[in-house]
Amino acid sequence: MKKLAVTLTAAVATAFAAGTMLASGGALAQDKTIKIAGFGAKSGVVRSFGVNSEAALLAAADVINKKGGVKLADGSKAKIAVEFYDDRCNAEEGISVIRRIAGTDAVVAIGPTCSNVAEPLFGILQKKVGDASDSGLQFPVFTDVAIKVGLAKISDWAFRNVPNEMTMYNSLFYWLKTTHPQVKSIYGGVEEDFAHSRATWYVVMKTRAEASGFAVQGESKWLLNDTNFATQVREMKKANADVIAISAHPFTTCGVLKEMQRQGVKPKVLVGLTSSSSLETLQGCAKQAEGMIIPTSFAPVNKEAKYAAETTAKFKGAADLHSMAAWENVFILKNVIEDAKISGKPADVQADRRKIRDALAKVKATEGLLGTTKRDEEGEADKPYLFVHARKGEWKVLHNPL
Amino acid sequence: MLDFLQAVSDGVLFGATYALIGIGFTLVFGVMHKLNLSYAAASIGGAYCGLLILQAFAGAPPWAVFLLAFVGGGVIGWLVYLTCFHFIPLANPLSTLMSTVGMLLLIDEIIVHTTAGMPQNYPAMFDDVMLRYGEFSMRGDLLLVFGVSVLGMIALLLLLYRTRLGLATRAVSQQPVAAQLCGIRLMRVNALTFIVTGLLGGLAGAMIGASVGALSPLLTTPLTVKGLIVTVVGGLGSIPGAIVAGLLVGGFENVFQLYRGVTERDLYVMLLLFVFLVFRPGGLFAVKGGRD
Repeated sequence: MKKLAVTLTAAVATAFAAGTMLASGGALAQDKTIKIAGFGAKSGVVRSFGVNSEAALLAAADVINKKGGVKLADGSKAKIAVEFYDDRCNAEEGISVIRRIAGTDAVVAIGPTCSNVAEPLFGILQKKVGDASDSGLQFPVFTDVAIKVGLAKISDWAFRNVPNEMTMYNSLFYWLKTTHPQVKSIYGGVEEDFAHSRATWYVVMKTRAEASGFAVQGESKWLLNDTNFATQVREMKKANADVIAISAHPFTTCGVLKEMQRQGVKPKVLVGLTSSSSLETLQGCAKQAEGMIIPTSFAPVNKEAKYAAETTAKFKGAADLHSMAAWENVFILKNVIEDAKISGKPADVQADRRKIRDALAKVKATEGLLGTTKRDEEGEADKPYLFVHARKGEWKVLHNPL
Repeated sequence: MLDFLQAVSDGVLFGATYALIGIGFTLVFGVMHKLNLSYAAASIGGAYCGLLILQAFAGAPPWAVFLLAFVGGGVIGWLVYLTCFHFIPLANPLSTLMSTVGMLLLIDEIIVHTTAGMPQNYPAMFDDVMLRYGEFSMRGDLLLVFGVSVLGMIALLLLLYRTRLGLATRAVSQQPVAAQLCGIRLMRVNALTFIVTGLLGGLAGAMIGASVGALSPLLTTPLTVKGLIVTVVGGLGSIPGAIVAGLLVGGFENVFQLYRGVTERDLYVMLLLFVFLVFRPGGLFAVKGGRD
C-alpha cells in the first residue's frame, strides 16, 4: 500500500512537472518576440519627427500583436517588439546607433529621420550583398523619414519607403501651370543648412518648376535656427514673383510666413516643403499658412488612413507623411518576415537579417495607406500622393493627381 | 542705400533681444565675476513657465503671460543660483562654468520633454503694427522690445544706484571681503542678484517669444552665443555696454547678411568678437576695478 502511495505520488509529481513544463513551454512560445529597432531624432531640432515615428511604430506593432503577431518559419507566432533609439539627427550618432542595434537581436531597423544621417549611415553598410571582400555592416535598414532623393542605391542593405519628391513636385508644378495659367514666375525660400530643405529647393523644386515653364527669379536663404527674416522677405517682396516656394521645416516656415504677413507679401500661390504638411506648421502659424499647397504621401482620406492616424494618436504621436511611412513599414515588414520564413531564434539572427534583406529586395509593390506603392530595384519607393492645402487650421485635400 | 538703412534698422531693432540677454550675463558677471551660461535658457524657460501656466488656466488675459514669465524667470534665477553657485566652490572658476553649462542643457531638455519639442505659439504684441515711411518700414513689436530693454536698463541702473540693495551689490562687486566686514551678507546679495537677473530674463524671454511669435528650444543656444558676444563686445560687467553692443551686433549681423549672405553672416559676427578680444578686450565700456 505504501509502495502504491509512493508510486502515485511520484506519478502525480511527474505529471505536475510535465504539465508545468508544457505550460511554460507554451508560454515561452507565446512570448516569442521579433525585435524591430526604430531610430531617429528624438532630441534636437527635429525631435518631433522621431517622436511621431516611434509612436507610429509602437501603434502598428500593437495592432499586429493584438491579431496574434507575426508567423515564423516553424508555424509559431511571435510578437513584434519595437525599441527606439535616438540618433539626435547627427551622422556620428546615427552610425553609432546602427552599430549598437546590429549588436542586439534586432532583425531589421526602421529609420533614420535625417538625410544627413542616412547618407553616411548607408555608406557603412555592405555595398553589394554577398561581397566577401566588403566588410561593411550586413544589416537591413528600411527608412521611413529621410527623404533626400536617391539614397537607397548606396547599399544593397538599404531600403526606403519615402515619397519621391521629384515626381511629386514635377506633378505639382505641372498642375499649377495647367490650372493657374496666369502664374508665370517663382521665387524660392530655402533653409540653407538643412540637407533635405536645401536639396529639395535646388535639386527638386527649382528644376521641376523650370521644367514646367516657370521663370525662376532666385531664392532667399536662411538657417534652421534663424528667428529674424526681415531681409529675406524684403528680397521676396522685390522679386514680386507669382509663386513663392518655401523649402524649410515648420519652425522657420512659420517665421517666414509671419514676416511675409507683416511686410504684406501676398503671392498668388504659396508652395511648401513636404515635411511642413504637419500639425506643427498649423500649430505654429495656421493663419499665415492659409492656402499653402504641399504635395504629400499621407492624408487621412480613407478608413485605413484615419484608423492609422487615430491609433498613432493613442501613442502620443501625430500622423503625417513621415510617421505614417513608419506605420506602413511595420506592416510591410510583417509580410516580408512571413514570406522570408525566418526562425526568430537568437542563434539565427544574422541569417534572419539576410533573409529579410533578400525578401525586401524582391518586393515590387506594397499596399500603403493611400494605395499601392511601387518599389524599384534600387530599394526606393514610388508612393501615391496628393496635394493638400491649409484651410482653417487643417490640411485639406486640394487635388488627387493619380 | 535704402537696403543698407533698412538692414541696419531691422538688425538694430532685433538686436534689442540680444541686449536683453546681454544685460543678464553682464550683471551676474559684474557682481560675482562668474559667467552664468544658462541665462538665455533660463530666460526662455521663464517665458515657457508663463505660457504653460496660461495654457493651464484657460480664459486668462494674454498680458498675464508676460507677468507670469517675469515671475517664472525670477524663480528659475533663484533655482539656478542654488544649484549652480550656492553649493559649489566659487574659488574654482571652471566649476560654476560647467555647472551652468549643465543647467543650460537641463533646462533645454525639460522644455523639449514638456513640449515634445514642438514650437509653442506665443502671444504677440503690436505684431501687425508696421511704421512706414515710403519704402522704409519698422516693426512695431521690435520697437516695443527696444523700449522695454531701455526701460530695463534704466530700472536696473536705478536699482544699482538708488537703493540699499544696489549699494550692497556694488560693494560686493568691488570688494566682497570689505563688504562682508561692513555687515553685508554676501550669499544674500548674490542670491538677490540672480533673482533680479532672473526677473529681467523672464521678461526678456517673453519679449523674444512675442517678437518671434513662438517659443522653441531652438532659441536657447543661438541666444546664449549672441548674449556672450554682446557681453564681451559691450564690456564684461557694463549694463549700458550690453545694450549698445546688443544693438550693434544685431545691426552688423543684418548688414553682413545683406552683403555676404546668410551662410557667411555668423562668420563675420565671430570675427567681430575676435577683433574686440584682440584690440579692445575690455569691450566698448570697460569696467574698472574688481573684487579682491
